[in-house]
Amino acid sequence: MTMNRHEPFEELISASLTGDLTDVERQRLDAHLDTCAACRSVFAAFMEQRRIMSGLRHVAPPRDLAARVRTGVEGGAFATLPWWRRPAVMFAGIGGGLAAITGVLLALVLLNGTPDEPEIGDATPPPSASPTSSATVVASPSQEPLKTLPPILPPASPDASPAESINPPSPSTGPSPTATPIPPSPEPDVFIALTGPSDNLALMVHEPVPSGEPLRPIAQLEVFEAPNTPPIAAELSPDGQWLAYIAELGLSGLNEVRVARVADPPDGESGQMDVGDVVILGRSVATTPFLKGLEWSPDSGRLAYTLADPDASGESDVWIYEPEATEPERLTDVGNAYAASWIPDPDDDGAAFGLWVSLAAAEPVSYVVELAPGDEVATVDPEEDGIAEAPDVFMPTLTPDGLIAIYWTGSMDAEDGIGWVMSEGGEPYLAEHDLEDGTFRNERPLFSDLDVGEEGWFRYAGISWSSDGDAYAIWDAAWTGPSQGGDDLQYPDPTRVYFGHATDPRGLTRDHAIDEADLPTDTRVVDAKASPTGEHLLVTVRYPLSGDLSPPRADLLLIERNTGSEADVMRNLSINDEGWFGPAAFDADDED
Amino acid sequence: MAVPGPMPWGTPAVTRRGVDANEARFAQLFDEYSAPIFNYVLRMVGDADRAADITQDTFIKAYRKLDTVTDATSTRSWLYRIATNTAIDDMRRRRMVRPMGDDAPSYANRPDPRPGPEAQVMASTLDERVQRALSTLRPNHRQCLLLSDLEDMSAIQIGEVMGLSYAAVRTLLCRARGEMRRALSAEGFAR
Repeated sequence: MTMNRHEPFEELISASLTGDLTDVERQRLDAHLDTCAACRSVFAAFMEQRRIMSGLRHVAPPRDLAARVRTGVEGGAFATLPWWRRPAVMFAGIGGGLAAITGVLLALVLLNGTPDEPEIGDATPPPSASPTSSATVVASPSQEPLKTLPPILPPASPDASPAESINPPSPSTGPSPTATPIPPSPEPDVFIALTGPSDNLALMVHEPVPSGEPLRPIAQLEVFEAPNTPPIAAELSPDGQWLAYIAELGLSGLNEVRVARVADPPDGESGQMDVGDVVILGRSVATTPFLKGLEWSPDSGRLAYTLADPDASGESDVWIYEPEATEPERLTDVGNAYAASWIPDPDDDGAAFGLWVSLAAAEPVSYVVELAPGDEVATVDPEEDGIAEAPDVFMPTLTPDGLIAIYWTGSMDAEDGIGWVMSEGGEPYLAEHDLEDGTFRNERPLFSDLDVGEEGWFRYAGISWSSDGDAYAIWDAAWTGPSQGGDDLQYPDPTRVYFGHATDPRGLTRDHAIDEADLPTDTRVVDAKASPTGEHLLVTVRYPLSGDLSPPRADLLLIERNTGSEADVMRNLSINDEGWFGPAAFDADDED
Repeated sequence: MAVPGPMPWGTPAVTRRGVDANEARFAQLFDEYSAPIFNYVLRMVGDADRAADITQDTFIKAYRKLDTVTDATSTRSWLYRIATNTAIDDMRRRRMVRPMGDDAPSYANRPDPRPGPEAQVMASTLDERVQRALSTLRPNHRQCLLLSDLEDMSAIQIGEVMGLSYAAVRTLLCRARGEMRRALSAEGFAR
């Protein structure tokens, strides 16, 4: 760039308007202006410009500004909320460019909670009957004891009536002899979706509309820089700032773990990543749901996930990513480790003191690896460094409060091209999780009406908890044995979703499958999430590839679960019949 | 020119709680600066609703950080710095979030319904034309020009707000004036 000979004087002219000239500069400028018509013109123009600017009309602020500030000051909220938790503010008064949408690749859905209404399974359960402990835990004597909270699971009662399952018995009232009406269900409040054609991926925000109308997109984030491939799992960090998701890399048999910033830092803090930026955390062999866990720590400071190394025969290890860090950290280097669940610290709201890490083997075992906020992430051997051990427990998936778990028990086997799966006796269990000593108590088979044994077992299944700590969803259940559903019913059915509540004394039964007609024909469930109210499911189903090179297609379905003779209510949230819609992620802390 | 003000921060709440020093200080700050900050932000973002939200956030942040202000701190510069950063955050966020209408997909190829440039110039008030010219400036140019010509700050004060050196502000301000001169010309103002 070259500087014209007037430029130094233009800067002096500009500075003169605000009295920012020294005497020497003033004399130099005056001398130049006497001889330079061009600079005199600039001087006049800048003077006129300043006159125009200073004469701009002054506008009165809103008269309620003081009240709004006071509300914000006293409420302590608002300014720190992620933008999409305050959509009314975020989208007010926006005008401007619009973008085309041709597909949806990832969805976040915020549900409008109804805290004043009774929720399914929200009653206080009675004390549990004689806890047992098939999952013996050995706490290291040198470590601080883990934290404890009272047990909450009711006694298992597979023959309980459906009414009891909707409103579990409480010590004061006892079981209701008749069915209790299900309270009105909330509708989706805001729908956020990673959308776009394959060459223009973007995160979309949708607003709800009355039932029966298509969802309306109302905003779009900028294009992600990562390759555009269908996401098959997604989890939102508890602070709402980060979205972890797993993208399927075509037909390569590989997945990619990614994290995107989806909200600005609170209070104007600066961050390395802008909204929409994506970081790729690694590639993994794409096989079982055991490899699709995306575990955010309660303080959102860490993401734990598993990568099965495609260059090392699918050896799996646990990795930790701290948002804004340049590189993820390897937590294990043993070749058979899987990230299970963070363990919340009840004495420190929002913190975790450790992570359950499972080791796949003929006899699987899980360990608590201590990793509190601020601890440096170092590579550990769970077998040697773990502070608690749970033999015969694989992949304990905890509720957000850490009090209940679904874990796998049984033998395991390493299958070619698949990796570790459950083998004989493979079965999910429901149990209380004691935060003090890491034991699993009061456990019972999750499927209470299923005979698991030599004739049949589960190889794996997808499992997710609602943030209410009660509702859960099971899908992609790979059952090896003959159907146990009689002549007319495939049970367990890998194509259906089972929706249960931990406080349901019946456990999970064939009756807990969502209606078969809810899912489009020939689709396969990719992901299922139970809503924070425990009343809805959001299910992503994919269609088979057409063979004509059409892009992959998936729908996102909102299902309101009903029982007995009343059919489930299903809404397809996809906004057209092509493209990829889903998976969903809920905002557990939605305050609007 | 007298700047119309909002309802004052008010004393009832303060009185009820006893006159806390910080409360009183904040009340004075709000009463003195809420209108100028609102107008500064309004010219930054060009939308009254957004300006109100940003002003609101600015004073909430100021309230929370009031105890960090020392005697040596220029309260005015500090407050404008918060407002500037809050507005920048908002603008950055809105670059990421593009609004869409009810039938957004069909909007992509829709012709621009707005009148042409000449018609706009003819139909607009002086205020609107200046605002339009401002909106074409780069954000940092817009900021320093507003701080200089609307808020009448010196280069040193602008530097305090924007976190720039005195020399950097002078250079930036000159470039901003040049850019604004061209923008005003495009709006029909004589060069």
